[in-house]
Amino acid sequence: MAAGFRILKRQEQPAWRSCLIVLAAVSLSLLLGLLLLAIQGTPPLTGFKVLLQGAFGSRWALEDCLIKAIPIFLCSLGVAIAFRLRIWNIGAEGQFALGAVGATWIALSFPGLPKFFLLPLMVLMACLAGGFWGMIPALLRQRAGTNEIIVTLMMNYIAILFLDFLVYGAWRDVSGFPMTAPFPPGAVIGTMGSSSVHWGLTHCLVLGLLVWIFFRFTRWGFEIKASGDSVRAARYAGIPYDRLVVLVMVLSGALAGWSGFLEASASLNRLQPSIMAGYGFTAIVVAWLARLNPLNIAISSFLLAGLRVGVEHLQLDLRVPAAFGSILEGLILMTVLAGGFFMRYRIVPRSRS
Amino acid sequence: MRIGMIFMALFCLAGISTIHAAEKELMVGFVYVSPVGDAGWSHAHDQGRLALEEMPGVKTAFVEAVAEGPDAERVIQTMARRGYDIIFATSFGYMDPMLKVAGQFPNTVFMHCSGFKTADNMGNYFGRIYQARYLSGMVAGAMTTSNVIGYVAAYPIPEVIRGINAFTLGAQAVNPDVTVRVVWTKTWYDPAMEKEAAKSLLDAGADIIAQHQDSPGPQEAAQQQGVYSIGYNTDMSRFAPNAHLTAPIWNWAPYYQQVVEQVRNGTWTASSDWPGMAEGIVDLAPFGPMVPQEVQDRVLAVKEQIIRGEEKIFVGPINNQQGAEKVADGVVLPDEELLSMNWFVQGVVGTTE
Amino acid sequence: MTVEILIPLLTAAVISGTPILYATLGAMFSEKSGVLNLGVEGVMLTGCLTGFLVAKASGNPVLAFCAAGLAGALTASLHGLVCLVFQGNQVVSGLALTLLGTGLANYFGTAFVGQAAPGFTPVPIPFLADIPGLGPVLFNHDPLVYLSYMLPLLFWLFFTYTRFGLNLRATGEFPGAAAAAGINAVAYRWAGVLVGGFFMGLGGAYLSLAYTHLWTNNLTAGRGWIAVALVIFSFWRPGRAVFGAYLFGGIMALQLRLQAFGTTLPSSLLLMLPYILTVAVLVFSSLHKKKTGAPAALGVNIEPRD
Repeated sequence: MAAGFRILKRQEQPAWRSCLIVLAAVSLSLLLGLLLLAIQGTPPLTGFKVLLQGAFGSRWALEDCLIKAIPIFLCSLGVAIAFRLRIWNIGAEGQFALGAVGATWIALSFPGLPKFFLLPLMVLMACLAGGFWGMIPALLRQRAGTNEIIVTLMMNYIAILFLDFLVYGAWRDVSGFPMTAPFPPGAVIGTMGSSSVHWGLTHCLVLGLLVWIFFRFTRWGFEIKASGDSVRAARYAGIPYDRLVVLVMVLSGALAGWSGFLEASASLNRLQPSIMAGYGFTAIVVAWLARLNPLNIAISSFLLAGLRVGVEHLQLDLRVPAAFGSILEGLILMTVLAGGFFMRYRIVPRSRS
Repeated sequence: MRIGMIFMALFCLAGISTIHAAEKELMVGFVYVSPVGDAGWSHAHDQGRLALEEMPGVKTAFVEAVAEGPDAERVIQTMARRGYDIIFATSFGYMDPMLKVAGQFPNTVFMHCSGFKTADNMGNYFGRIYQARYLSGMVAGAMTTSNVIGYVAAYPIPEVIRGINAFTLGAQAVNPDVTVRVVWTKTWYDPAMEKEAAKSLLDAGADIIAQHQDSPGPQEAAQQQGVYSIGYNTDMSRFAPNAHLTAPIWNWAPYYQQVVEQVRNGTWTASSDWPGMAEGIVDLAPFGPMVPQEVQDRVLAVKEQIIRGEEKIFVGPINNQQGAEKVADGVVLPDEELLSMNWFVQGVVGTTE
Repeated sequence: MTVEILIPLLTAAVISGTPILYATLGAMFSEKSGVLNLGVEGVMLTGCLTGFLVAKASGNPVLAFCAAGLAGALTASLHGLVCLVFQGNQVVSGLALTLLGTGLANYFGTAFVGQAAPGFTPVPIPFLADIPGLGPVLFNHDPLVYLSYMLPLLFWLFFTYTRFGLNLRATGEFPGAAAAAGINAVAYRWAGVLVGGFFMGLGGAYLSLAYTHLWTNNLTAGRGWIAVALVIFSFWRPGRAVFGAYLFGGIMALQLRLQAFGTTLPSSLLLMLPYILTVAVLVFSSLHKKKTGAPAALGVNIEPRD
């Protein structure tokens, strides 16, 4: 490679180094983002301050970030399971949509049920619907050898249009607008105490813990990790790889579906097309940023939720276009990826001999 | 005790002076569903906002491309927390989020466009654009030779359906043999999709293209194929000088100025406003040179009738698509039914799903 | 279906298929060198905006078209930087590029929404355009469509007969062996990424320079993803890419025409057609052919050696 340097593989990859590299990568992305602000004629430091204050500068802001982080966290937890096996589930968006549809179907069909019965039923249906939507690409991959990236992606469009089909058709509200009637009180998840954060936050804690236990202590979790590192070695060791593919996609879809249930029940209290806010893509950024670890996913979903919230303040105060958020997401992901290089390799000057 | 009194007085003074300061500069916020850009729905509202900027002591801000649902709620909430005095939200899906926020900020005036809910501090408003659509339908009906008019439409919601019906009634008033073919694009602003939709209508035999879309894409298609077109939102003739016959257009400035004046002098109360041609909120763009004088005269005569309140447009007998009587002879369709309209009149080819 | 309906439909299929064709060929070029670029959508969109802005500023569509290609190459070079220099995962980097590219285009493009720029308009080819049936379908278009007719053949010749093309494919199949034979595999991959990005950018520019002459955010509306799918569908063969692109153009045109001709099917279901078709053709082509023609080292990075 370069004349005066050699690139050597590192033997060990300590946690502090990966932390440092992620921090460096995020800082670099922010710097590039500030440069973009300057190009657009916005004073970059003011912009940075508005972004930070808007996202984390007050109790409301922190609550907003938490609320926003909930769906991102669950979707991200889901895609991270699939990514562990190197299965590229780009379809969290569609699985989220199907989950919301499933939960809505229950809420509209059994409005009279008491809360303690209705909510679990909605969760169940959301997970089944999301899991089903995740299973299709897995089965197609297994049986026909199709590429799951494309199939999950196309199924996003199909799921969103299916949601449209329902709210413009059979489920349309009497007002004539494309949304369902409001959910019955029994189908609505309330907020915690005096805050505006809903109880979905506790679901996140429990599910995050479960996923951590799953990878840490169960045989399936171990097999998924092993197969993700090397498919060939896993097959050789007798791990049923094809079945694992279906398993991770179903789990992945179920988690995204759960997220769809929470958004419909807690945030919107009904189903309408605007429930789709692009959490599926953000989830991928979050999962990769967190190196697929549940605790890190929690932290990075909170940070990326902060980015989304902060960008709104940038818009309001400095008229920065909304797309700034997606630029930063892309930049962060790219720099973190590039930073991975310094985790695996080190560069040393070529010895004189 | 006395010191306490003095403090009390000081507090009151401080309170009064802040109220006074707030009166001096009125902060007005706008929430838009799409980029402001250079044409279209949000652009029309933004022209109204710019007119407010001209008023002494008024400061405005806007956030564009805000998704309907939880994002909208947060943006509206942020504006309210920042002390905005009046907040205008200009998309249907902002209704429920705005209602929620309005309950939390009783001292802020909330104005929602195109919905139907009100609160003590939340009014709603819309414009009777269907009046102008009726007139543009008359122009199209007079100019068509194939008796097929193509209508590129965004989403099957009451606002759009009402517009198509008014347009069709207008066309039939001058030419009973006219049929109006509808293609839904499921986009508000996608020039590529909307142009293609217009072309598909031309292939189906239409010789005039009308639109309920924000992009000039359909105008472009008409210009290219050498047929006539009806624009929307603003005068679109610069995009299709040879095709553009006229357009139903918005002029929000007088209405917004009136609301701001009312809030400033304390006479504002929450209500449902539906101003139309008489108030100057909706109008017809200047006719293209290809519209014969007698057609212009006829249309302008009806325009006068509308302004004087003699022509109500949705007056029975009106049949639905299947030919069954929907509005009995002489009955004027009440506003509530106009606001939730989800059926087509006879002569429209298409579906409302 | 009668001829009066069929001919306009096929004409629309060619026009709708053209941006997809450019992008598919670009994605294919990149993949032939072994670099999977899932960022087609983002690359197309930066090309789309650049083309529009240059056309607006200079009034010269040809210059704008070329500039769009360069912008595409520049955007794709970020993918090259991450994957070829820093050994990043190609799948994830491609997704990041989608976010970044669409973000950049919308960020700088928001101010220009609703404005118009000069561009290409249809130029009928003398005599050929008068052939009944074939004339309007193939020979009554803008110059960019005619250019796209020649590209698949040129691509095929390039991959089959030129030294450069053969080396590029070798890099995509067996980078180790190629390097052993004295080929600079990394350099060829860079060529693949940049030239691929160039054509993706052209595909985007077709939308803002010929398809319409307007800009709006997300004008590409998912066409980049269809291009990624079409590369697989076409078994990495330029000729089949033409077929795939027009098939998709046709289905997009068809769903609108079904509405215009008065079907009562809900529009949401009609809009699903292209996506269902994508999944269907993928399944069909994967089942149909076990050896798909995918470059053996597609998506696999070349480990640095000292």
